[in-house]
Amino acid sequence: MLKNVSVEFHPGKVNFIIGRSGSGKSVLTKCIVGLMEVDKGEIFFDHRNFTVLDRWDRKDIRQEMGMLFQGSALFSSLNVEENILFPLQMFSSMSKSEMLDRVNVCLKRVNLEGKNKLYPSELSGGMQKRTGIARAIAMNPRYLFCDEPNSGLDPQTAIVIDNLIREITYEFKSTTVVISHDMNSVLETGDHINFIYQGELSWRGNKHEILHSENEALNNFVFPSKFMQQIREKLRG
Amino acid sequence: MQNTVAAYLSLLRMSSVYFHIGKYFLLMVSTFTKPEKRKIYWKLIIQEVDKIGLQSLGIVALLSLFMGAVVTLQTAANIESGWIPRWTIGYTTRQTMILEFSSTIVCLILSGKVGGNIASEIGTMRITEQIDAMEIMGINSASYLILPKIVAALFIFPFMVILSMFIGISAGAFVGYTTGVISLNDFEYGLQYDFEMWQVSYSLIKVFFFAFIITSVSAFHGFYTSGGPREVGASSTRAVVYSMVLILVANYILTQLLLL
Repeated sequence: MLKNVSVEFHPGKVNFIIGRSGSGKSVLTKCIVGLMEVDKGEIFFDHRNFTVLDRWDRKDIRQEMGMLFQGSALFSSLNVEENILFPLQMFSSMSKSEMLDRVNVCLKRVNLEGKNKLYPSELSGGMQKRTGIARAIAMNPRYLFCDEPNSGLDPQTAIVIDNLIREITYEFKSTTVVISHDMNSVLETGDHINFIYQGELSWRGNKHEILHSENEALNNFVFPSKFMQQIREKLRG
Repeated sequence: MQNTVAAYLSLLRMSSVYFHIGKYFLLMVSTFTKPEKRKIYWKLIIQEVDKIGLQSLGIVALLSLFMGAVVTLQTAANIESGWIPRWTIGYTTRQTMILEFSSTIVCLILSGKVGGNIASEIGTMRITEQIDAMEIMGINSASYLILPKIVAALFIFPFMVILSMFIGISAGAFVGYTTGVISLNDFEYGLQYDFEMWQVSYSLIKVFFFAFIITSVSAFHGFYTSGGPREVGASSTRAVVYSMVLILVANYILTQLLLL
């Protein structure tokens, strides 16, 4: 599926992985976070080789990860507060009141104050994503992964989520990796962009360089319509 | 040529069976590894005791009530000869409830209710990426999701079976007396006749195995669900079918080992 992909993600920056459906970007992310095993190659988290570690040794690195899933992946049997408490209860040595304070800080950060007792089924898509972000940042992650954070959201809510991810990345100085199809997000918040094409890293650069790229596959993906191509020309000019 | 293809296909099917058995045992190894925080697991076990056990009490009681009553009436209807004493009704009701109904049949029914529920719950968590979310947090999802269910079932199922025996036999006595097919004295004599405590122990030993089969097999099918809601339904069905078949096989093996 993936061939000779070598990517470096920058700390304190929003790193994007973009590509067409089936290009391998989700597989790449699943390999990075350890949900899939790689046949060949190595994955390093700050010089720690993740690929050679067994399940128990990976646990330490995993506790430094936060992930926002495409469908939010909130625990449906738990309310908002319990969802965010979950990683804290499992791994932190905080007291109950400290944990609740932390939950409220995270909820405030994602503008969901007072929604503690609501269940995921009672939340809108955007609120579910924000709860997912709150859960992901509960443990102060060094590495934040976001799988299509804008899918299923209206453009305005999508911008709110984008801004939140960017602010949190700068605030926590986390290494953020975002998989996205949403070119608005990519051009708005992408500090570093990696384009995967047919299982290979086809292009890398930043949001300014993407306008001047001569990579045909990238241009077809980012500027697929005549209208978008005209916009690119204007921006270039 | 046809023979070669058939042999190849049968080999493939066999290797697939071994693959799934291996996968099941690996999942069990993961499930029985040391839990992250014991305090949280205790809480989960108590929740599962309620969900798996207490919420199934109604159906177990209802089934036992009617089965005890029906066994009594059927036995009475079949004893027409004056050579067979009436207390045989009490004896037969006791033997049926203790040896087979309260352990095997109740567990077969619970495999439908509890097993289906476990498979669909875990399967839904799988397809909605909730299990992936746990894994990324560094939680052993197999242990967190499956271990409390197994422990809870091993704990609560024997109590449910004892309750089933009690209700079934009581219902038999009540129906026998109220319909006039047997006096309470005769029924009581039949209950006590040639009673061996070992038979209750045999029944409870079987229940331990059945409880483990129901929870672990259902959890296995739920845990490895992939796809969407349709696959969750298919996993749930497979969980119930495999649990039932394994219960029947285990019942035969245990009976041969323990009773003969």
